Amino acid sequence: MPDQLAQNPEEKTLHRAVTCPFCGLLCDKLTVEASRGELRATGNACPKAERAYARTLPAAAPAVNGKPVELDTALAAAARLLKRSRQPLLGGLGTDVDGTRAALALAERCGGIVDHLHGRALARNVRVLQTRGYATTTLAEVRNRADLVVLCGVDINDDFHNFASTCLRPADALVPERLAARRLFHLGPAKQAPRHPGLGVEQVACGADELLETVNALRALRAGRQVRLKGKRLQALAGIIAALAASEYAVFVWAPGQLGDDGDLLISAVCDLVNDINRDKRAAGLALGGNDGGQSALATCAWQTGYPLHVSYAGTVLDYDPLRHDTARLLASGEVDALLWVSTFRPVAPPDSALPLIVIGTPGTPVRATNSVFLPAGTPGLDHRGQLIRTDAVVALPLPQLRDSALPAAATLLHELLTRLG
Amino acid sequence: MAGTTTELRGGRVYDPTHGIDGEIRSVYLRDGVIVAAPADPADIRETYDLSGCVVMAGGVDIHTHIGGGKVNLARMMLPEDHRGDLVPRGRHPRMGCGHVAPSTHTVGYRYAEMGYTACFEPAMLAANARQAHMEMADTPIVDKGAYVLLGSDDLLLRMLAGKEAGAKVRDYVAWTLHAAQAMAIKVVNPGGINAFKFNQRKLDLDEQNAYYGVTPRQVLLSLADAIRELGLPHPLHIHGCNLGVPGNKDTTLATIAALDGLPAHLTHVQFHSYGAEGDRKFSSGAAEIAEAVNRSPNISMDVGQILFGQTVTESGDSMRQYAGSAFGSPKKSVLMDIECDAGCGVVPFRYKDKNFVNALQWAIGLELFLLVRDPWRLFLTTDHPNGAPFTSYPHLIRLLMDRSFRNDMLKTLNPDAAAASTLASLEREYTLYEIAIMTRAGPARSLGLHNLGHLGVGARGDVAVYVDHPDRERMFTTPRYVFKAGELIVRDGRVIAAPTGATHVVRVDYDRGIEKTIGDYFERYMTVSPGNLAVADSELEDAGRGSIIRHGARRTA
Repeated sequence: MPDQLAQNPEEKTLHRAVTCPFCGLLCDKLTVEASRGELRATGNACPKAERAYARTLPAAAPAVNGKPVELDTALAAAARLLKRSRQPLLGGLGTDVDGTRAALALAERCGGIVDHLHGRALARNVRVLQTRGYATTTLAEVRNRADLVVLCGVDINDDFHNFASTCLRPADALVPERLAARRLFHLGPAKQAPRHPGLGVEQVACGADELLETVNALRALRAGRQVRLKGKRLQALAGIIAALAASEYAVFVWAPGQLGDDGDLLISAVCDLVNDINRDKRAAGLALGGNDGGQSALATCAWQTGYPLHVSYAGTVLDYDPLRHDTARLLASGEVDALLWVSTFRPVAPPDSALPLIVIGTPGTPVRATNSVFLPAGTPGLDHRGQLIRTDAVVALPLPQLRDSALPAAATLLHELLTRLG
Repeated sequence: MAGTTTELRGGRVYDPTHGIDGEIRSVYLRDGVIVAAPADPADIRETYDLSGCVVMAGGVDIHTHIGGGKVNLARMMLPEDHRGDLVPRGRHPRMGCGHVAPSTHTVGYRYAEMGYTACFEPAMLAANARQAHMEMADTPIVDKGAYVLLGSDDLLLRMLAGKEAGAKVRDYVAWTLHAAQAMAIKVVNPGGINAFKFNQRKLDLDEQNAYYGVTPRQVLLSLADAIRELGLPHPLHIHGCNLGVPGNKDTTLATIAALDGLPAHLTHVQFHSYGAEGDRKFSSGAAEIAEAVNRSPNISMDVGQILFGQTVTESGDSMRQYAGSAFGSPKKSVLMDIECDAGCGVVPFRYKDKNFVNALQWAIGLELFLLVRDPWRLFLTTDHPNGAPFTSYPHLIRLLMDRSFRNDMLKTLNPDAAAASTLASLEREYTLYEIAIMTRAGPARSLGLHNLGHLGVGARGDVAVYVDHPDRERMFTTPRYVFKAGELIVRDGRVIAAPTGATHVVRVDYDRGIEKTIGDYFERYMTVSPGNLAVADSELEDAGRGSIIRHGARRTA
C-alpha cells in the first residue's frame, strides 16, 4: 500500500504500489516519489506515465470569462449557466468513478446528455456487444495462459506501453510451457509494431485500411478456404495459421480508439474468428482502451442508467442513442445549448463551440476567455483518492493521493453545482 | 414532550423466528429498531392502524445477481430490454430502467417496493469485488452483501494440486473473504471454470482438471471444510457441476453424498434436478433431489424457479454458459475468462411455456418447492435474473400458495411437459407463515443476520405490511407500508424515502502468515498488487456511501 503522505512537504515521500491513471491498463506497481508537490514516477513507469507524473501544474484559479475569481463566485456563475440551459452536454468526463457518478446526478437534474472524450471509441466495442456479443479475456489470463497473441492494428508504443512487459513477455507465468511457446504477431503498418526491445514480434504488414480484409482472410484460411490477397500478406498469414494450429489459448487484441469510425467491423471480424476457434479449442479477444477514465465512465453510466454512455436525461425517460448523442454531432447540430467539459487527467481542450462553457479540468486545460467558467480540479490518483476500472472491464483499482495540491475532486465540484441547482 | 415510539397496531403478524403465526398484535419501532411495548402509552408518537393487514419482517433475498461485471455486461448488452421498462422521471428519486437487467437505483427501489430490505449478490469475483461494491453502493435502500467466488482460481487449484495443508487453504479462504469484503464463499462449477480455460467442456464430480489434476470433489470438500473450521455463518454456497445438463440430478445427489454431513447450501437447484428419461431424454429429478435434501439436515437450498418470458442468464459458469449460448435469444452472448480467478457468461434467454424443456423446468422448480418439507432450509429465489427477474416473486408466491391457480397455469403449458410432471397431483399450498420463513426468517438465519428477518425486540426496524388479499400476487406486489430501520420508505407500493443501506461483511480470525504466500503469488503471476486487490473499508464507507455491518464467526453452542 502507498506510504502515508508526508507530514512535512519538504520531505521526499516514496509511494509504492501506485495505480497509474494515465491509460486504460491501470498498472498498479508504480513507485512514485513526491517532493514539494513535484512527482517523479520511477519503478515500473512507462514513458507516458513518467511524463504525466512529471507534468508541473501551472498556477490555476477559478475563473469566470478568463478572470480569476473566488471558487464560490465561479461555482455560482456555473450554476447560473446551467440553470439557463435547457439541454446541456456533459462531455469529456475525464474523471474517476465518483466524478462520473456526480456528473450523472447533475445531468439528471438539468436534463443533460452525457458522453465521454472517447465516446466513439467505446461505442465501437459496445456496438459489437449489442449485436453479437464476444468472448474476451483479461490481462492476467493473457500473461499466464496465452501461447499466441495477435495484435490487430494495435500500437502499444505510447498508450498501453506496459502491456508488453505485463502480459506479452512477463518473467514468469502460471503455465510456463505456454509462456515458453508463446508467439506474438502484429497485424498492421510496420511503423505501429511494438518497438520494445527483445519483444520478438512477428510482423504481418498491412495498411490500416487493409486490416479488416486481412483478418477476414485469416479466418477464411483457417477454415481451409482459398484466399487471394495482394502483396506478401498471404505468406505472412500462413505463419499465424501454423501458430494457431499449435495453439491452446490464442488471444486477439484490438484497440477501439486506434480504429476508424467503422472499427466495429474489424472488432466483429476478430470476434468471429475467436468464435470459430472456440468451437474446438480456446481463444479470446481483448480490447485495449478506456483511457481518461473511459472504462469507468462507461461502466458507471451502464450501472446507473442501464446504458453505456450517450444517454440523454432530457425527456421523461432515459434516451440512449450512440449516434444522436455523440459530442461532435450534438455541438454541430445545435441540439445542446451549453457544454460542461470534464478533463482531470490531462489538459484536453474542450471541443470548439460558441456555447456557454464550464470546464472542470486539471490546471492548464485551455479555456476560452468569453462566456466561460473554469473550475480547476485535481487529478484522481495524484491530487485525491479515487477508483478507476481497467480496460478489461473486470479489475477496478484504488487510486492514492500523492500530493497535497488543495485541488478539489471533480466529484466535489459537480456535487457543489448540483446543490446550487437545488 | 412528544413520544418517540411508532406503533404498528392491529396487523396479523407472521414472525417465524419467534413462532408467531398470524397473531394480531402490535409491533413497536423506536430509534430504528423493534422495541417492546412502551410502559407509558404517552411514549407513542404515531400509530398506524394495520387492521386487515399482514405484517412481516422486511424480505431478505439470499441469491440475486444485482452487482458486478457480468450484471453490468448484461445491462450494456440489452438496450432493447430496457426500452420496454424505462422508469419515468419522478416515479423514483433517480431515473433508470427495469426488467431483466435493471439499473442499480431501480433494483433498490423495486426491491423496497415489494417489501424486501436486504439483498445478497451471490457471485462476486475477488478480481471484480471493487466494482461489485461500487454497484451495490449505488443500489439504494436495501442492505446488501456478497459471496466471493473461489474454486476455479489458479491459486487454490495449485494449493490442492500441491497437497497443501488444509490450514493454508483455510487462511487463503479467510484472506479472500476479507479482501473482497464478502459475507460468504461461493463455488461455481467447482474447478470447471478453470478447466474450461484448458479447453475442457465438461467436468464431472470426479473428473480431473487437465492441468492441475484436481477434481470438483476435492475443491468442494476443501472449501466446505475450510468454511466450517473458520466458522463462517453461511455454509459453502454451491452452484454444482453440470448445470442444465439432462441427467444432472445424479451429479447433485452425488454432491450431497460427497458432502457427507458437512454444511452446505445448494443454489438454484432447479437447474440441477434434471433426469434423462423419456422420449426427449429430459425429465424431472425433483422427487429424488427433494428426498435427498429432506434426509440431509446439513443441506439448505434455494430453487432458482424459472418463469416464462424474456430474461438474461448471467453466470460465473463460463463452461456451461458457452454450451448454452447456442440457445440464446436474442442471439448474442458474452463469454469471459477472468484474471486467473474465475469467468463469466451472459446469455439472453426466453423461457417459452409451449416449449417442452422450459415448461418442464417450470414444473421441476415448483415440484422442488412442494416436495422439500422444511421451509427453513429452502429459500425462495428465481436466481434473478437467470430464472426470471426478481419482480416476479409475487407471482411465484401465488403459484406456491394457490393450488388451483397453479393447476390452471399448468393446463396452459406444453401438454407433454405437464404430463411428465407430478405437479398436478401435489396438493401442498404454502401458508403465509411458510412464505415468511422462505423469504425472511430462513435466509436471515442462514446468513447469520441476527437482527434481520424477524420482528423480535432488538431486531432492525425493517417491516413490510401487506393488505391481506386472497390474490397473493396482488398482495405481495404492493405493500401498504414498508419501514427500513424504523423509517417509512414505501407507502402503497411507492418509494417515498430512499435511505442508504448498509453492507454486511463477515470477519473471522486467521493466520496472517498466508499474506506472504499470496503476496509472492501476486508478485510473480498477477497483474495487480494484493494490497490493491483488497477493498478498503473506507471505499465502502466514505462520501456517505453507507456503513459496514461486521459479523463474526458463527456462535457455537
